[in-house]
Amino acid sequence: MKARLPWVAVAATLMISGCSVDSGGSSEGGAAAGAASPAANCAIATAADPGNSQPAADTPIAENAPKLAQKDTYRVAFSQNANNGAWRIAETQSMQDEAKRLGYQIQVTDAQNNQSKQIQDIRSLIAQKPDALFVAPMTEEIGTVIGEAKSAGIPVFLIDRTVSDSQAKAGTDYVTTIVSDFVQEGKRAAYALAKATGGTGKVIALEGTTGSSSAVDRKKGFEDALKECPGLELVATQDADNQRARAQDITESLLQANPDVTAVYAQGDDMAMGAIAAIRAAGKVPGKDILVVSGDGSKEALQAIVDGTMAANVECNPRFGPKAFEVMKQYAAGDEVPTKILNEDRLFDSSNAGEFVDQAY
Amino acid sequence: MTDLATRPAEVSALRRIDWPTMIRRYGAAAVLALLVIFNIIFTENFLDLRNILFVQLRQAAPTAIVALGMALVIATGGIDLSVGAVVALSGQVTAVFLLDGVPPLVALPIGILVGLAAGLFNGTLVSRFGIQPMIATLVLFTAGRGLAQVVTGGRIQTVNEPIVEFLGLGVIAGLPISVFSLIVITIAIIGVTRFTPAGTKLLAVGGNERAAGLVGIRTKWVKTMAYVVAGGLAGYVGLLELGRIQASDATNAGLNMELDAIAAVAVAGTTLAGGTFSPGRTIIGVLMLRLLQNTLVAHGIPREVAQIAQGLIIVAAIYLLRRSRDAR
Repeated sequence: MKARLPWVAVAATLMISGCSVDSGGSSEGGAAAGAASPAANCAIATAADPGNSQPAADTPIAENAPKLAQKDTYRVAFSQNANNGAWRIAETQSMQDEAKRLGYQIQVTDAQNNQSKQIQDIRSLIAQKPDALFVAPMTEEIGTVIGEAKSAGIPVFLIDRTVSDSQAKAGTDYVTTIVSDFVQEGKRAAYALAKATGGTGKVIALEGTTGSSSAVDRKKGFEDALKECPGLELVATQDADNQRARAQDITESLLQANPDVTAVYAQGDDMAMGAIAAIRAAGKVPGKDILVVSGDGSKEALQAIVDGTMAANVECNPRFGPKAFEVMKQYAAGDEVPTKILNEDRLFDSSNAGEFVDQAY
Repeated sequence: MTDLATRPAEVSALRRIDWPTMIRRYGAAAVLALLVIFNIIFTENFLDLRNILFVQLRQAAPTAIVALGMALVIATGGIDLSVGAVVALSGQVTAVFLLDGVPPLVALPIGILVGLAAGLFNGTLVSRFGIQPMIATLVLFTAGRGLAQVVTGGRIQTVNEPIVEFLGLGVIAGLPISVFSLIVITIAIIGVTRFTPAGTKLLAVGGNERAAGLVGIRTKWVKTMAYVVAGGLAGYVGLLELGRIQASDATNAGLNMELDAIAAVAVAGTTLAGGTFSPGRTIIGVLMLRLLQNTLVAHGIPREVAQIAQGLIIVAAIYLLRRSRDAR
């Protein structure tokens, strides 16, 4: 027996921070109910939700990747890197549901968080010659096998993560990558926090796993936007590793050292739930004494908004199915498909959380 | 405190102060005292009773309870790598039963039974089949957490059960449940190891198993019991941790807790070769390592630095253990 599992578990927490997409969601979330009177010097406290970002205008069009014939029905394959954790389970389910809805055949493999298994999975999927191949890469380092799909004439669509540019070229070896704009997610969280607090107060931030792209980008988006609001002071930032218990311990320690904190930004919902528990344990009322803004859009977080313990949440929708198949059909029809596609995330607050809580993952 | 096996050595140590031994034994307490003084001066509200009881001690208590079980196993010359996974397994099994509507009076004891069964499994592998403790407990270290993930389907699900909330937020005699539990368990363990033959047997088995067998001690039974107690304590901590986050979380519950417990035993100056048991110093070791982390976090230093600091302290403890005269 090898001592592999706990590391798998550690890696699994890394995985959960992949993130993206939603085809339909409107982001005009509406003003936070009961916002405090805004500080005069904080422009973002009264600004509307900045919404989703647009891909850069100069994003190249996928021209040299294998073509896809237009057909009534397709036989497709999906390589998931690790089908565990609510987020990835919802992602896989969404791919399967959408394929079923469209009447396509789909074959799904689960690499169980193992990079070499994912490479093997992709090779065996290529051997079965599907019409198109969707891949949620485990890491950026599986690019070589993507080139093998090109040689076999199979168009590849990457979802929620990309692969290293030196190993596979967008628009040539694969068609496109469909990902979330994590910087924008952080920015929208800052706007929501400014709106909920009225633009004044002391803030602590809980980050996802150090070095993960979601953590780095959300931090950048959040902190850059916060500069426009000098009344909101970021007094402490800590890495809570996307873990509930760790976020709880860290928040307890930070609240003790900074008893005048009035807001918490958690990059992910598990950390937000830990922070809410810590606020309770400190004898304060989450949603009243201390406001919590988070990102992910899980069912639990939306329920917390409904219950009044969370102020707002920037979605990181795992349901890639509709967008992924829409892009595939556009590509088959010969439409111009950019080599990077940004997905839309919704903003949830007290005005709309109740409406969406039942369909959240 | 109750450093039974080192008492004969203390007689010779009286002749001249043996600094490495002194530092080894009381170094953790000294560092803890320094950390407390530092925090009183530099950390706002540190001396607040609520902070001491409901933040610092409550965060340390689950690890301390697990570390007591670990210290018992280490006293027999063994080690138990599975306790963190057992914390996860017992909590997750209980969570799944509660979510299925099983009454808490049934579901909570099942969690502790899971821990006891895991301990019996470990103890049997070690004592009956003579498998090296590190290898024997590696089985549940991997399989235990895997099983926990299988029973919950890898999902984090909130458990809305008054008794679970009570375990996490409840107060007995002015203390959080976990702190109260730690005190009761410590008194029970000290009572049994000091005032019944069990303590002598435990240390005899750890000190020289063959000699202990020759004087009629049922060494296999003693060893098995140490693992069973460690498993039972881990099972109980699984319930406390479930109460703390009020949700199932197979991936992170009890994660690395076995390593924190071993670190605390080592920092407490206990030789990992067996034959010594010092519950008081083990708890001080846990408190010291925890407060070290919390101090750095409260002052905005990244968690990674805290981990490096912990590593350095363990190295220092091991160095002192080797220099020290009464550690063999």
